[in-house]
This record gives sequence, structure tokens and C-alpha cells, in this order.
Amino acid sequence: MAAPELLSDEGYRADGRRPAELRKVRARMGVFAQADGSAYIEQGNTKALAVVYGPHEMRGSRSKALPDRALVNCQYSMATFSTGERRRRPHGDRQAGELALQLKQTFEAAILTRLYPRSQIDIYVQILQADGGNYCACVNAATLAVMDAGIPMRDYVCASAAGLAEDTPLADLSGPEEAAGGPRLVLALLPASGQIALLQLSARLHQERLEAVLEAAGRACRALHAVLDRVVRQRLQEVTALLGD
Amino acid sequence: MRASAGALPAANMAPPARYCVPGERLCSAEEATAGSGTYTRHGFIFSSLAGCLEKRGEESGLPVVSVVRDAESQLLPDVGAVVTCKVCSINSRFAKVHILYVGSTPLKSTFRGTIRREDIRATEKDKVEVYKSFRPGDIVLAKVISLGDAQSNYLLSTAENELGVVVARSEAGTPFREEEPLTCGVLRGTDGAHQLV
Repeated sequence: MAAPELLSDEGYRADGRRPAELRKVRARMGVFAQADGSAYIEQGNTKALAVVYGPHEMRGSRSKALPDRALVNCQYSMATFSTGERRRRPHGDRQAGELALQLKQTFEAAILTRLYPRSQIDIYVQILQADGGNYCACVNAATLAVMDAGIPMRDYVCASAAGLAEDTPLADLSGPEEAAGGPRLVLALLPASGQIALLQLSARLHQERLEAVLEAAGRACRALHAVLDRVVRQRLQEVTALLGD
Repeated sequence: MRASAGALPAANMAPPARYCVPGERLCSAEEATAGSGTYTRHGFIFSSLAGCLEKRGEESGLPVVSVVRDAESQLLPDVGAVVTCKVCSINSRFAKVHILYVGSTPLKSTFRGTIRREDIRATEKDKVEVYKSFRPGDIVLAKVISLGDAQSNYLLSTAENELGVVVARSEAGTPFREEEPLTCGVLRGTDGAHQLV
């Protein structure tokens, strides 16, 4: 059954982590020079790339332009080699459309769009290798990319997924753990203020367990915030050193 | 600007700059005013960009706190801003332009703008002929009068003394140079000849 596979008797998960432990995070900002902002993140084996353009004039239909805010346009795409079996369509399918909409919702909450009326900000994310936590890796990569582009944001947006193994909440689910079919709670948090940008639950979760799983996801997001903060500060120092103050 | 002898730029002498990240609380709203790159919430000033903190003292009132980045982030043309644009097509009713600079900052991607026939000149608006005022390829100084609506893009106006065509080419291809842009177009050729446009 699912539970014994997820957590061993000694309390270790399938990949050797503790229940509240995150996968190793490696991130880099400014990977592309052509884009306004870009970032690459690896969370365990999940690799995501985010590219941000803008704010620029509305492309496409001008009637969609908002008179007092910028429009955030997101596209989520999975490379054909990202999963075990070759994917036929990188984007354009329903799952990609839904995730793109969730990304849009998340970033409209975080970016100060009122500063750029009648303009458009494009966020393109691509998953190069999918091993659980796709949406979360995308949000984290996109946060770094938006910061790299110099677009003002309220706060970082850190996302993490949490699940349940019997009674123990698990933070940062990997691919096999997501595929096991248990409940999966995805949380996108603005750490400094504690505001939630997105909360999504799949499968079933008992009401009494919700608090614990939400708490685990929140702690994972805050831990991720500390890691991303280090990456951003290091990048600031690199850039200042390059430009010589 | 006077430069006092022996004074080094502040950056070389100041202690290492303090870096801020979005969401970082800088100070209370009573101690300072929010500048660019910051926002206020619940009586505190937070940073909204990843950059260096700058605190400028104003004589009147509170110091201004702002966060600056090394690279210039995209500036959007705002209502009332003077922009430099290049004419790309003309029509009997309006001229379409590409906005290249806002003030003196170049834009990374060009914006489209429109100069309507009635906004070319302040006086004798009905006698204006667009073909005689602009030519494709002219560089024009204009002012943004509207951000536009669902149908149009930025609306610009050259109906002021300081606005209008600044660089143009004659029919033969030689450039005219203009010290004072005139919207009704008296162009002084490089050889001193005048042409009334």
C-alpha cells in the first residue's frame, strides 16, 4: 500500500530524507542575456527554467489591456524529454493551461502591477526535468526571474507541496511520492507577510489533518525562502562587483 | 555642477552598500518617505526591488528611502512625459510613431504612439496637413497626452513650442538639422538654405 512505501519504520522516506526535509536546491539568476530576467532552479531532480519579458507594450489584442494595471501573461511548458515517456505536446494541453492560469494568479498577487498600466509582463516557464513539485519549482524559478528583471514585487513567492504518510506530513514531495496517490497540498506563500497566494489540494484530505499538512507546507516555504534569499543576495554582490559600484 | 577639489565619489568612501530584497522591511513610515522601488503597508516601508538601499535627506521633512538597481528597469511613458519618437507611417488623419526615448532614457522595446492631426499644432488646427508636417523617418519630440484606450495606443501631441520635428531628411536625402524644433516646420538646411514645410 501507499503508506509503508512512503515512510519507513525508522522514519525515512524513499529517497532517504526526513519527513520535513527539503530536497537540495540549486538556483542561478541571469542565465540568459537576451531576456529581461531569467532564472534556473533545481529542486532535487526537478529542473525548471523561467524567463521574464517586460513590462512592455501589449502584444496581440489591445482590447485585453487593463487600464490601471499590467497584464501578467504566463506560459507553462514541459520539454518533451522531461518525463519518463516522451511527451508529444510541450504546451497547449489542458494541464499546461491550468498551471499557466495558476501561475498568473500567483504572480498577479505578488507583482505590483498598478505601476504599469496598459502594459504586459510575460513569464515563460519550462520544465526540463519533472520529478515532483513541477508547479512549485516553476513558481520559485519565476520569482527569481521577476526579481532579475527588476519588476517590483511585494515579496518573494515561495511554493512547496506537502503530502501525508499515515499521520506524518511530508514536505516537498518527489515524483514517486506524488504518483503514490495520496493527498497533495500545494502552497504558494509570501513569506514576510505570511500571505497565501495560492492553495491547492488534490485527492482527499481529512479535515483534522489539514492544519498539520498546511503547517508543514508553510515551514517548507519559509525554508525555501531562506535559500532563495541567499541566492539573490549573492547575485546582487556579483552584479555590483562586475559593474564596479 | 560644482565639483569640490579632492572629493571622491561617495560610493568609493561609503561603507559597503546595504542590499535589500523584495519584502524586506526597511523602516517605519514615520521616519521616512517611500521613494522608488519601495511600497508602504501597515505603516511600514518595504522594499519591492532587489538592489541597494539609498537614503536621501530632503531639507523639507523626512528623508526619502529608495531602492536602486544597477541596471535600469523598464520605464513606461507616463501622461505628461516628453518622449522622443520616430515617425513610421503617415496618413491624412494621423501619424504613427515608435517611441524610442522617455526623457533621456532609452527604452528596451519600442512603444507605438499616434499623433492625431489636431494635436500637431496649437494654432490653426484645421489647416494642418499631416503630409507637410511629418515624413516617415523624422525624429519628433512629443508629449504624451493619453495612455490610450481599447482601440488606440499612446496618444501624443506636438502642440507646444519646444515640441515637434527635430531631425529630418530632405527629399534628396541630406539631413536637416534643427536647433529649435518648430511644429510648422521651418527647416534650416546644412548649407544655410531655408525650406518652409
